[in-house]
Amino acid sequence: MYSIPTQPDPVSVVLRLKSIVPPTVRLWPPTVLLLGDTVAGIAFAGGLAGAVVHVPAGLSAMLPWLALLVGAGCARGVCALLAARVGADAARRTKRTLRAALVTDLLARAPGGHATTGTLLATCVDEVEATDGYVARFLPARATAGLAPLLVIAAAALASPIAAAILVVTLIPFLAAMILAGGAAADESRRQFGAMSRLSGLFADRIRALPILLAFGGEQREAERLARASEEVARRTMRVLRVAFLSSGALEFFAALSVALVAVYAGFNVLGLLPFPVPEKLDLARAFFVLALAPEFYLPMRRLAAAYHDKQAAQTAVERFPDALFAPSTAPVAQRAPETAPRITLTDVAIAYAGTDTPAIRDFSLDIAPGTIVAVLGPSGSGKSSLLHLLLGLAPLSAGRVTVDGVALGEGVTLAPASAWVGQTPLIITGTLRANIALAWPAATAREIEHAARRAGLGPMLAVRGLDAPIDARGGGLSGGEIRRIALARALLKPSTVLLLDEPTAHLDPVAEAALIETIRTACRGRTVIIATHSAALAAIADRTVSLEPHA
Amino acid sequence: MTALDALLAEQRLRQRPMLVRAAGYAALVAAASVLLLGLSGWFLTAAAIAGLAGPVVAQGFNYMLPSAGIRLLAIVRTGARYGERLASHEAAFGALARVRPALFRAIAAAPVARALSFSTGEATARIVQDVGVIETRFAMASAPWGMAAAAVAGVGLTVLGGWAAAATLACLGTLLLVADRLATALEAPGRAVQRATGALKDELAAQAAAAAELRCYALEGWAAARIAERSETLGDAVEAQAAVLGWFELAQAVAIAVAAGAVVVLARGHGAAVMALAALAAAMTIDGAAPLVRSLAQRGAVREAEARLGALLDGGSLSSTRQLAVAWPSITFALADGPLLPGARVQLAGRSGAGKTRLVETLLGLRPGERGQVWFDDRDLVDIASDLRREIFGWVPQDAALLSGTVRDNLLLGCAQADEAALWQALHDAALDMRVHGLPQGLDSWIGENGARLSGGERRRLALARAYLRPASWLVLDEPSEGLDAATEEVVIARLAARLTRTRQGLLLVSHRSAFAAFCDQVVSLDVPGWALPGGPPRVSVGFPISAGAAAA
Repeated sequence: MYSIPTQPDPVSVVLRLKSIVPPTVRLWPPTVLLLGDTVAGIAFAGGLAGAVVHVPAGLSAMLPWLALLVGAGCARGVCALLAARVGADAARRTKRTLRAALVTDLLARAPGGHATTGTLLATCVDEVEATDGYVARFLPARATAGLAPLLVIAAAALASPIAAAILVVTLIPFLAAMILAGGAAADESRRQFGAMSRLSGLFADRIRALPILLAFGGEQREAERLARASEEVARRTMRVLRVAFLSSGALEFFAALSVALVAVYAGFNVLGLLPFPVPEKLDLARAFFVLALAPEFYLPMRRLAAAYHDKQAAQTAVERFPDALFAPSTAPVAQRAPETAPRITLTDVAIAYAGTDTPAIRDFSLDIAPGTIVAVLGPSGSGKSSLLHLLLGLAPLSAGRVTVDGVALGEGVTLAPASAWVGQTPLIITGTLRANIALAWPAATAREIEHAARRAGLGPMLAVRGLDAPIDARGGGLSGGEIRRIALARALLKPSTVLLLDEPTAHLDPVAEAALIETIRTACRGRTVIIATHSAALAAIADRTVSLEPHA
Repeated sequence: MTALDALLAEQRLRQRPMLVRAAGYAALVAAASVLLLGLSGWFLTAAAIAGLAGPVVAQGFNYMLPSAGIRLLAIVRTGARYGERLASHEAAFGALARVRPALFRAIAAAPVARALSFSTGEATARIVQDVGVIETRFAMASAPWGMAAAAVAGVGLTVLGGWAAAATLACLGTLLLVADRLATALEAPGRAVQRATGALKDELAAQAAAAAELRCYALEGWAAARIAERSETLGDAVEAQAAVLGWFELAQAVAIAVAAGAVVVLARGHGAAVMALAALAAAMTIDGAAPLVRSLAQRGAVREAEARLGALLDGGSLSSTRQLAVAWPSITFALADGPLLPGARVQLAGRSGAGKTRLVETLLGLRPGERGQVWFDDRDLVDIASDLRREIFGWVPQDAALLSGTVRDNLLLGCAQADEAALWQALHDAALDMRVHGLPQGLDSWIGENGARLSGGERRRLALARAYLRPASWLVLDEPSEGLDAATEEVVIARLAARLTRTRQGLLLVSHRSAFAAFCDQVVSLDVPGWALPGGPPRVSVGFPISAGAAAA
């Protein structure tokens, strides 16, 4: 079953883009600051006009206008500074919410269960950061672009209604150019943005695949392919940019044209040489004011065009977010953990991860009596870990039924509250041995922690270094066996009725393995236990063994 | 001069016509902007004064020349900006199209341990970003020329207002000094962002790997809080960066305001018209420095990217000393009873972590080997260049890594000269031909990133077909049956047997599965009691050939 490439349609991308800004994030502060910039721009024009007019009256008459000029100019800077800050703050809140949702999604998936875990990691960090400019700059610029020109028009109309009318009229070809640039050219440039990121992707992919390229002597060929692809994309990019720059050139041309029109109109008006009658006679102050104002009229729209790149970057990022992020979340179900070792029954179970064609497990049935130990054997990739993850809700139940003491597991109902876990890469945090063990059951007393540590075979370590022995996050100074024993101590500390072990003796030497197996045997007492392993020695402590056959 | 400097210098030379054109246009844009605004201000003011003086003076006022000048300058500015953008981007893309493959070649040629350290997702992402930063550098190369032209035009106009020219230059100089300081101040948060990003990814990876433990002990909230803490550190750094960038904008705006204000005061004695000209010209002169100020804001990022890429390129290049090729060698492991003869079928046995995959990677020169471990015929492995050694093997890696591309792309990696028939034969032998026939575009179907559109078993069989195509004397299969169901595995083994008989290739097999193992006539065991040194050098210790009869039993 060949799946069609999952290219989200533009509509859903737009909706996704809209939905990433949480309702608690307010975008009006940066928008108001950008409007403030326009108001300051109007004041700047006023100050300049006033100063010019009052030159004959001397410096003291010019001073208030001069103050307005410099003050307004500085105010623009302050507005820009603050807009950058509050924009960054809004972006930060958005990214915080987004990342929290993505992390929840990430932690609800089986580690390494499928190919996308690495991609998800990049999504949680890089793709989230890529939305920054969209929230910080593009959205405020877009909100401002609708309002700020109206402010400028109003100010210009106070001085010269006709000059204001000229600005409005030049807006028509400007908008037409903008729509052209935003329609056809934007489509082109979106495709181009895609081509550029695919080229980056190709580059990244070939570096990732370097081991096989080297092994097959293909590095030269791929370097040439990369060179050809780069040249090709560069050539195509330039073609697109020619159009894109032409349309932005058109924007600029109309902006310049309108300034020139206003200048010429105002000049002829003050000269009294207009070839047609107009109902207004401008003086120098008004004429100069509208001239200085004219460029302000187009500034917000040009700012929006400059931030367009931020929008494209965000668009590309949201396309890569997992669909789950945009689906309504299911409320967690309150559940009770069984108080005695339960019976676990799997009937015709299949596990198929999203995005893969072949299930990791299918048609699997197993009945585990209360308090017994089952070892699940099979080569790596046969789905042993998936089976354990299924019981914890970290892998999807695609078909069949899982019951615990007759109660079906399902959406939000898992075996997790009853379970303890020992895997091959236990979580180790910076802190003390005590803190590491106590993670499993924060309510535990010091005595209980020590007891669990001893039962897990950490006695020798306690004797030398004590419960407060410092441990670093990489588990430096601890042997592989000691790290597993910390995980085992956690499992013993939690009053659980189910124990799940995923290759708990992998990468241990035979002596360490034999010692650990003894400890595991005692830890299994009174619990229903499933051990995923391919160690025959470990499987020997089980009451039953089952084999998993891999599927293609 | 570092290798990167040399590479960039070469590209600058290649792109010189474009860069010169970009600089010329940038200068034209900046000068035209200054002249346009200055002239507009003068024209308007002079016209108003003439208008006030009465119709006679107004009639005598030459409005044709300045108003034509205004229109001309507006057109020149627009056209020049178009030309500048086009030329600078052409230079940037042109340079980049060569920098990327050059970097790739440099990475591929680096000592193998270092080269492969780049193939982790994080390192790859870094390189891609750094290359992007280099691009901005090329695109911004014209900024100083624009600034210089604005300064010249600005001085030319403001000098009509006497000391106004000096004030304008002083403001411009101060702005550049402040921007330089700010660029330095920006380096610390820039580095902090890098660090915080790395720390966040590490934390995320650690917590994601422990998802099952977190779930059992209801630690997901705790883990999310820890991740959020790292995320906040990153947020702080990003915000600090944005704050400094805000200061750039403030500095620019204040410089414009102060320059305009100072010029108004200093040029007022020269009349309103000249004053208007000087004030607007001064403002536009400062504005002309904006691209340079923006490029200064990038300075720290550019330096760091260049430092990283420079370190990457400086590793030296691989000089392949073409020696005598070893076509069909026997392989001898230390402590083994005898050599593995060409055409032998050998199982590499050993518990998980014993170093089977490490051994295979050493044979292939994907890990540095040590003298006295492995010999090809009678030559020590370390005496044979890696690229020659690699020609001996057709390899299926444990992770069955694939290129993101088409089925054909992946197969041709095995043998670039293979014809259609050879490709289909290899697919048939890997029991994948029916599947590829069923794909909409056959051999040219896109298989996604690392073959994401294929199942695990299909990925493995495609990797197998790729290894088959390699004209090599030994096939090295690392867990070839992983993800295969029993029926498919049977077909794959039968066809492999037929193929080996035909090609007379040797087989080195790493597999837990008995079906494949039963196929071998010799076993090399890597198990040494009491030994487990993850990450240590591969130690091949015990090799004992077993008879074909024993294996079949």
